Amino acid sequence: MKGEWSAMRFDIVIIGGGLSGLTAGIALAEAGKDVALVSAGQSTLHFMGGSLDLLGSDERGNDLFKPLDAIAKLNEKHPYKKLEDVSRLAGVAKQILERAGLATTGYATANHWRITPIGALMPTWLTLEGMAAIDDPDKMPWRKVALVNIVNYLDFPTKFLAAGMRERGVEVDVKAVILPEFQQLRQSPTEMRSTNIAKVIEQNDLLVKFADQVNSVVGEGYDMVLLPSVLGISSNEKAMQLLRLINVPASYVDTLPPSVPGVRMQSQLRRRFMALGGSFFTGDQVIEGIYDGNNLKGVKTAKLDGTVLEADNFVLATGSFVSRGLVADYNHVYEPALGVDVDDLGLDRKTWATVDVTEAQPYMEMGVATDHKLHCKRSGNVMSNLYAAGSVLSGHNSIKLLDGAGVDMLTALQVTENILNQ
Amino acid sequence: MTIETQTQNMSVNNFEQCLKCSICTVYCPVSAVTPLYPGPKQAGPDGERYRLKNKAFFDEALKMCLNCKRCEVACPNDVHIGDIIQAARIKYSTHRPSLRDMMLANTDLVGTMASPFAPIANPVLKLKPMKAVLHGVMGIDKHRTFPDYSSRKFESWFKKEAAPKQSQYSKHVSYFHGCYVNYNYPQLGKDFVKVMNAVGYGVHLLEKEKCCGVALIANGMPKQAKRQGEVNMTSMRKAVAQGHAVLTTSSTCTFTMRDEYDHLLGIDNHDVRDSISLATRFLLQLIEKGEIKLAFREDYHKRVAYHSACHMERMGWVPYSTRLLRMIPGIDFVMLESQCCGISGTYGFKKENYERSQAIGKGLFDQIDEANPDCVATDCETCKWQIEMSTGTPVMNPISIIAEALDVEATRELNK
Ligand code: SF4
Ligand code: SF4
Repeated sequence: MKGEWSAMRFDIVIIGGGLSGLTAGIALAEAGKDVALVSAGQSTLHFMGGSLDLLGSDERGNDLFKPLDAIAKLNEKHPYKKLEDVSRLAGVAKQILERAGLATTGYATANHWRITPIGALMPTWLTLEGMAAIDDPDKMPWRKVALVNIVNYLDFPTKFLAAGMRERGVEVDVKAVILPEFQQLRQSPTEMRSTNIAKVIEQNDLLVKFADQVNSVVGEGYDMVLLPSVLGISSNEKAMQLLRLINVPASYVDTLPPSVPGVRMQSQLRRRFMALGGSFFTGDQVIEGIYDGNNLKGVKTAKLDGTVLEADNFVLATGSFVSRGLVADYNHVYEPALGVDVDDLGLDRKTWATVDVTEAQPYMEMGVATDHKLHCKRSGNVMSNLYAAGSVLSGHNSIKLLDGAGVDMLTALQVTENILNQ
Repeated sequence: MTIETQTQNMSVNNFEQCLKCSICTVYCPVSAVTPLYPGPKQAGPDGERYRLKNKAFFDEALKMCLNCKRCEVACPNDVHIGDIIQAARIKYSTHRPSLRDMMLANTDLVGTMASPFAPIANPVLKLKPMKAVLHGVMGIDKHRTFPDYSSRKFESWFKKEAAPKQSQYSKHVSYFHGCYVNYNYPQLGKDFVKVMNAVGYGVHLLEKEKCCGVALIANGMPKQAKRQGEVNMTSMRKAVAQGHAVLTTSSTCTFTMRDEYDHLLGIDNHDVRDSISLATRFLLQLIEKGEIKLAFREDYHKRVAYHSACHMERMGWVPYSTRLLRMIPGIDFVMLESQCCGISGTYGFKKENYERSQAIGKGLFDQIDEANPDCVATDCETCKWQIEMSTGTPVMNPISIIAEALDVEATRELNK
């Protein structure tokens, strides 16, 4: 056996199982392609919360109301500049989510605002059904809000949240509920996490009990109840059911990670991909590419020793530094899976970061180099059948511009179209 | 400072790579159902920091870990969380295995004793009073149905019925059948021989085969596990020297011998590891290389739902089995979402674990009910017990499905 390798053949192999890889995977599978996806562990969707950003802020940090207009003014290095039609692709992205069972509010024509776990308002593009969304930050839609937490749940900092809203003229009262079933969870302080609370509520059918508690601590006089998003881990049905059981209009607000809506997005997108016949290689890593000139023929992974994954086209969607899609050592930044070219900032490490951590960090703009069609490059040569999508791309800072999910999804959809129209 | 500083600063089981993201906790099946378990992050990399300072920080609650490795599959930083936990148990646990644990762990010993008495043992193990004794005295949960013991061991069948015919083939493999095939379900072994013979491979048993030891590790008997592992390695080395691949029909035996031997038991297996493979993977690789072909019966129809066993998931080999099954034209294939079934070998047999074990599996059982398949396919034998008991749906190993759907004559012709 040793020495000879067998090949598993697909139409397309996608490397990376986060938002970008799954979006490309679903879109290509919907077009009837045989797609394999290799994913090394779970993705940053787990930290993302219940909203997807397209472009929230300009270069100077001002909130944007009309992201499409601002996209036209972005500098040439930004990945959005490689999209044929941002507005149309944004519509396709929303439909992809919808078909995966992820209904959202919002459109690319106008941002709305999400509430962060620490009480700031941030411009965003799409927000999952049930999560709080505000049309205009200067006109808060609520007069008096009850902010309801679960006793001893630490990942929902109500003080910050209340302060944020009070600053905007909303009257806020903080309340807390407790159920004996949560008492159980508290025995292990490290495990009193959003996802575990969600599991306790869903497995024990505590919806009615929980809603009764909320109703009794809230009482009268509020026009909105805000709850931590600790419900709806496998589907949104239970989470919506709870909102309906509450006497006052109610919505969820993101908690600190792990994020239940993020986990749900991950699992529903994956489920959709599998239902379309996609092959998922979990917990595995691409370690080497097999090239024939400027053509990538196949990839080897850490676990499939003896088997090469072959395909007509490949998509690199491994994410940025946090996801190990990019790796930095003392001298340079490189792309570890296939060794493709990186747009870096040269050898002087001092230029990679700024001293003030709250400032925009230059290293965030490093990433994989691509041509106008999002083809990767190797030693300066454009690869004919290897594309890159998502936050592994160079040329944008998702923390500064609030464009992370948009870059992930829209570049993935553009790559899909580039492959299908070859 | 140089690159070496970074690259050589690797810790055992990658535990320093943990960035405290808590993603592992989201996917731990035990954490999901009990707060008494500290969870993978706390039990693994976090706890390890403390344990390295003082062994008093070792918490016996770690025995609740199923060793399913789902945390490792989920971890974005390749921290070997499950290995950290099992290694800590081996190193620090002062808990001595009970008689019950020793019985459950010694699958081959108990199998040897039960097989000759199978006609008596099977009904007796099912009797209410016997179950009450097992439950009360032994701590084996009364809800459990014991897998039947076969009255004729696979090895005996093989030696008499199959072995003499194997030399007629030009290519050969060795078969690690495992305890389950030998004592409980020889049919799977027979199916394996049927398929391999049809594609032109002769099958041989190892000179000596011992239980892979997975249950011994789980029940706190690593020394015995290591002794048995060494015996297996010696036999496998001989098989490999003859040019044989060593195939199994169990994902757990495969995982244990390929990965746990080295990581947990300190058995040097590097020279045979690559040759140990799962039968479905071996077949698919040969098909992809164009070296063999399968022909299937035209009248075969079955709705099959595939369950990804934990260790199959950890090895990253699920697509080998699913792609092979999907080659059968008459199969209506459903992929179940990957979730632990809750049995984890002998874990679910213990009275103290029964409820937790069923709670863990509930999501999977609901999925199976909804998919309403003719059978569930999975590569692990203990999943089979759990799923059959909990859903009433029959469970088959992919090799048995291939054997059932195979047009043997046509396949033989294709592979002449
Ligand atoms: S998933 Fe990995 S990195 Fe994250 S907390 Fe768990 S062990 Fe640490
Ligand atoms: S091996 Fe399984 S049971 Fe043990 S900590 Fe990891 S996920 Fe939990």
